[in-house]
Amino acid sequence: MARTLIVAEIQNGALREATLELVALARKLGGELVSLVIGSEVSGQAETLAKQGGGKVLLADSPKLANYNSDGWADAIQRAVSAEAPDLVLISNTPSGWDVAPKVAAALDAGIITDVFDIENEGDELAFTRRLFNGKFNGRFRITGSPRIATIQPGATAAYEGSDGGSVEPLEIDSAPPRSEFLEIRMAEAGGHDLSKAEIIVSGGRGLAKPENFDAVLKPLVDALGAQMGASRPVVDAGWLPHEYQVGSSGQLVQPKLYVAVGISGAIQHLVGMKSSNYILAINKDPDAPIFEIADLGVVQDLFEFVPKLAAKVKSAKGG
Amino acid sequence: MKILVCVKQVPHKDARLEISSDETWIQDESIKFEINAYDTYALEEALRIKDAGEAEVVILSIGPDRAIQALRTALGMGADRAILVWDDALAGTDSLGIAKALAAVAKAEQPDLILTGLMADDTNYSLTPPMLAELTQLPHVTAVVKETQQNGDIVAERELEGGALEVVKLPRPCLLSIQTGMNDVRYASLKGIMQAKKKPLETKSLADLGLQASDVAPKVTLEKIFLPPRGKGAEIVEGSIDEIATQVVTKIKELGLL
Ligand SMILES: Cc1cc2nc3c(=O)[nH]c(=O)nc-3n(C[C@H](O)[C@H](O)[C@H](O)COP(=O)(O)OP(=O)(O)OC[C@H]3O[C@@H](n4cnc5c(N)ncnc54)[C@H](O)[C@@H]3O)c2cc1C
Repeated sequence: MARTLIVAEIQNGALREATLELVALARKLGGELVSLVIGSEVSGQAETLAKQGGGKVLLADSPKLANYNSDGWADAIQRAVSAEAPDLVLISNTPSGWDVAPKVAAALDAGIITDVFDIENEGDELAFTRRLFNGKFNGRFRITGSPRIATIQPGATAAYEGSDGGSVEPLEIDSAPPRSEFLEIRMAEAGGHDLSKAEIIVSGGRGLAKPENFDAVLKPLVDALGAQMGASRPVVDAGWLPHEYQVGSSGQLVQPKLYVAVGISGAIQHLVGMKSSNYILAINKDPDAPIFEIADLGVVQDLFEFVPKLAAKVKSAKGG
Repeated sequence: MKILVCVKQVPHKDARLEISSDETWIQDESIKFEINAYDTYALEEALRIKDAGEAEVVILSIGPDRAIQALRTALGMGADRAILVWDDALAGTDSLGIAKALAAVAKAEQPDLILTGLMADDTNYSLTPPMLAELTQLPHVTAVVKETQQNGDIVAERELEGGALEVVKLPRPCLLSIQTGMNDVRYASLKGIMQAKKKPLETKSLADLGLQASDVAPKVTLEKIFLPPRGKGAEIVEGSIDEIATQVVTKIKELGLL
């Protein structure tokens, strides 16, 4: 790669880990690294990135960039692209990354691939790999033209740990205010079902098929194990269980001693929430379900036949 | 008010997916299709705005003939008319090509609001909504979980990570991409399905939109689709259901949890 531009992200005043993951990926691909830091009064973070990531750091610093907005971010990224003519632009696949990256690609008439977890150098070409069908398959992609844009799945690469020393340069931006107005960031109501301290969690997914089955099929296993019940997002979206049962990137992050995933396919957004569990048991009728990649123990069975059997055996093992 | 809702027809969630023989997509000749789940929430939101006042809800989809089924379902749920765009040149295009075709229709329709799903359940790209906004010069916001109309503006809540919500105000016209769970999606009633047969459903080619095949030539190609490498993977317990359950119980005992 001749030159890669990475777009940094600041969260709660500090550079996100995902930004240093972009640095690592850009370094792996080789060539020159240019970073872009966007925000208001963020020169400190830009200095930190220059020190840690090395290379040139462009700083787009303005009060209008105090909160994320797609107009301001897209303008800064497009200006950085025209100033530096990178061959590759890397942006983290976060709520702001997935909001702005496609807009930039359309404005530049450039090829883009989202939620990439690996990029490989193949001579002059780059091969991008990402998941498809919620993790059931992987796809390998190519982009023609320049720049090539990719959003990168947070956590897919180890963060860069070097300390190279670089320089910060200001980037001039458009002074026009964004068309959207930021009002506030607030937390969704938490609810009383706290899964963060549970020793055992039994979560049900769309495979349970009907709301009644959570009581009829899942609950006996939950009770037999003395566990807490969790769920995947579609279960909550359909109103079968309240939001506070949801495990995943937009639900709770859990790490019990035992996590039992029942009828859950294992989409990345669910895995993010439970993959640090000490031990994972997956029950799914599809032997290719991605949940089996991260589970310790797998049962390839129809849950409606297997779960009642398991609940009964657990109960008798407890002598109850 | 005119609301344009973009929908994609995708393989049914319960379809058995197999990789096609040329390994560049899935075998999709004999599987069932449905409206992308994310898009159903966008459609429902449009219908709620319509129910609450005056609005025309126009459905726009790009896809082969089979996508007519998805449009009929949307009309049956209460949308007013539908537009299907197809052309052989669109079969191999990328998200930007799709966005260009959508934008050509949006420019002709001049809606006050465009609603889409956050992503498609097959590709999971999440690309066309912000692209369409850019190509039509509209402000946008993605992953919206709540929306209220306020004197010609829209106040939208977008989902961030870890339970955080960002509240933003956008002027109309604008584009919102909708996250799942925003509302309770209605079913098409029998009466609705009967009425849908009489509602207008237009089909358009690229030429009808003033576009040529070269306008939608892809920059991105999916070279190969494959099953993820197994890696470490789970130890799969084999045997009869009874034997499997016994082994699982033994394992849970070993963990000291029984
Ligand atoms: C921004 C964003 C945030 C998200 N946040 C979250 C989140 O926090 N948490 C979350 O869970 N998801 C989240 N998602 C959604 C995620 O992408 C998936 O859609 C979701 O996790 C799928 O849930 P599922 O596994 O229950 O359903 P599916 O993917 O439909 O899987 C159902 C599984 O059940 C199996 N099954 C069906 N019937 C049976 C049976 N009889 N016996 C055994 N197995 C059976 C099937 O083989 C399948 O593997 C998010 C998505 C986005 C875009």
